[in-house]
Amino acid sequence: MTVFHFFNCAILTFGPHAVYYSATPLSEYDTLGTSIKAAVVYLITSLVKLVCLATFLNVSESDRFDPYQELLKALIGFIDVAGLYFALTQLTHRNISQNHKFQAVGLGWAFADSVLHRLAPLWVGARGLEFTWDYILQGLEANANLVLSISLAALGSLMWLRKNKPKTLIPIIYVCAGIVATMPSITSYLRLGLEWHLPKVVGFELFTSLVMAFISWQLYSACQRPSN
Amino acid sequence: MANLQKSKPSIGFVIPVYSSVITLFIIVMTCVELCDAVTVVDVYRLVQYDVGGTPFGSRLAVLNHHAGSAVLFSAAADLSRTVLILPIRELNLTFIREYIGRRKPLGGLLLLLPLDFSPQDRENIGEADHSSAKQFVKGVLVELEQLLIHANIPYPVYFGFEDDDVNSVLADVKRNDATGQLATATTGGYKLVVAAPEPKKVASPTISNTQGWLPGSKADGGSNQLPTIAIVASYDTFGAAPALSVGSDSSGSGVVAVLEIARLFSILYSNPKTRGRYNLLFGLTSGGPYNYNGTQKWLHSLDQRFRETIDYAICLNSIGSSSNELWMHVSKPPENAYIKQIFEGFSNVAEELGLKVGLKHKKINISNPRVAWEHEQFSRLRVTALTVSELSVAPELLESTGGLSDKRKFVDEASISRSVKLVAESLARHIYGQEGKTIDIFADNSSLAVNPSYIRSWLDLLSATPRVAPFLSKNDPLIMALKKELTDHTVEVNVQQEVLDGIFTFYDSTSSRLHIYQVASVTFDLLLLLGLGSYLIVLFSFLVITTRGLDDLISLFRRPPSRKMKTA
Repeated sequence: MTVFHFFNCAILTFGPHAVYYSATPLSEYDTLGTSIKAAVVYLITSLVKLVCLATFLNVSESDRFDPYQELLKALIGFIDVAGLYFALTQLTHRNISQNHKFQAVGLGWAFADSVLHRLAPLWVGARGLEFTWDYILQGLEANANLVLSISLAALGSLMWLRKNKPKTLIPIIYVCAGIVATMPSITSYLRLGLEWHLPKVVGFELFTSLVMAFISWQLYSACQRPSN
Repeated sequence: MANLQKSKPSIGFVIPVYSSVITLFIIVMTCVELCDAVTVVDVYRLVQYDVGGTPFGSRLAVLNHHAGSAVLFSAAADLSRTVLILPIRELNLTFIREYIGRRKPLGGLLLLLPLDFSPQDRENIGEADHSSAKQFVKGVLVELEQLLIHANIPYPVYFGFEDDDVNSVLADVKRNDATGQLATATTGGYKLVVAAPEPKKVASPTISNTQGWLPGSKADGGSNQLPTIAIVASYDTFGAAPALSVGSDSSGSGVVAVLEIARLFSILYSNPKTRGRYNLLFGLTSGGPYNYNGTQKWLHSLDQRFRETIDYAICLNSIGSSSNELWMHVSKPPENAYIKQIFEGFSNVAEELGLKVGLKHKKINISNPRVAWEHEQFSRLRVTALTVSELSVAPELLESTGGLSDKRKFVDEASISRSVKLVAESLARHIYGQEGKTIDIFADNSSLAVNPSYIRSWLDLLSATPRVAPFLSKNDPLIMALKKELTDHTVEVNVQQEVLDGIFTFYDSTSSRLHIYQVASVTFDLLLLLGLGSYLIVLFSFLVITTRGLDDLISLFRRPPSRKMKTA
């Protein structure tokens, strides 16, 4: 019964990634290699992040929200953006269109994140006898994270790869990218600073991820138009 | 299908990545808080023992069932897979009696004692508690204990305490039960798990008797032996939960009294001028609940010639309650001159102390193996002996042996002090030949006064130490402490180790930890799976439609039959 629950949570956490890959044209153009490279880049980035966090951050005894520490954490979080930049621009891919490239990178990125951050707790916790909503919420969080990763990759590809984009949209793109990149800090502020409960935080994440996805989609298609 | 085939070649590509994933995995694993949101509480198992091969008590230790509450009692439901959680406060004894009497199947039983019965409860100590609610609980406990001890229960029975965690669980369980649905794997609820090993027999349980001497002075240096007076108490207990059987009154109060009397007389005997013409023998015996088996062993190990020098023996048992009545139990007829003399000595002192002492005579039936009082073991060997106790009637086997209800808060230090003074004073008058005179040897505020703080500290220690003999090791700290205390006041202290013989066999695993898990039902997981499946299908369709168009989605479902046609 509890292994059953583990499978449910695993499906919720990792299923959308697989569905996204198979449902979109990504599967038809065989972009798995790109995704895996992005995942490897994610692994390296998170290692660098770990080292930075360990070097610059004090271990806080309490769960209080410390603005200075959180600012530092947010700055270190921008290493993610650097990693994503590397994955989008420096990696030599087979010639796939920009359109598919950012999706593949975002997908690999989100999948690696889910595996790293959620698989172990899931394996340890969800198989136990005790039932909590935590693992289901965590799965939903993974979904939100997938949407956010792809949005960020889309915005990144707009920033770094697309040359002729409408001048008026550039600041909006940067602002959106900034918001998406600081999402982890925002949620941690909500959780620790405002002491929101997990369901509320996850709901917020899902909502903002959908909003950001919609905005980045609109931006992306707006940039697509003049080039056509 | 097409997707599956395409992803296959990439598997080889994934494997080298895996090793680095695994290393990171381990890093992450160490970061993850391995917190299981379960409630873990200490529970104490009902005693499991055999008497002459007949099984008694709880015969199982492993527990893994859903929780239920008393609400289910009325329903004629099948409870063979349910652990009933019953607080003693609201216990319906007739239901329990019926359940155990008819041997109805039950998954298990968790009886919740009020929190102030827990060994950790150090408040309210000092003042004896007589509120009616407490007395009611005590009465229920006494009755329940006898019921459980003398029944053969084929499921695990545990005792716990009503702390906040357990109470909130119980409230939830009650709410769930009130809806009328039985909590099983399909409706969710709480699961109670005790992962205890199979109870094993306690191999050759030992009983340790401790004795100490205060030798008297021979006036003329004659060769004839001095007479001896023995002051004895049994220190071990027996109760429904061995790990909770601290027995403050039975017979912690007796042990405290023996130690205090030893201390008082050691002061007198340390001065050659006040050393009496009697040897004093102090004994702390074990095996009390089992027909005073330890006393018997101890007496038999004493030299026959020495045994004959024992003038009389005073056994102390249950003298801690706050009533003003004490009973002197004897096996010789009250007309016996010796008994008469001792009784008169006692009642004289008792009068001065405002106590009432009664004399109770109970003949010994040699053919009956039951030994109700400790002095009967002396009497069987023709040694004059008596038991001083607050109990007016001889207890049955395994009754009043310091079980669940025998707690510190029901014991009054002042009455122990008074009893100590009664025994010590009458003893001293006898030793120094001052009978019938009103002198106060152990007067209050003198250097020979009974020390209340000494009594209190020993009573507190004994009330915090479970003392069921089969579960006490040979070098148990308590036995060592008793030995050391006697060594401080008396000489030639020795601890005698014997094997508890007879018909009793005990089983271990007396306490364990109970894990309470909140579990979801299988139906919940099934519904969740359905929901997730439909979510993924909707997501899939949505993605296909937005990225490739509706026609593609429809063609996806049309393709498989065409493939089959091709391969065929």
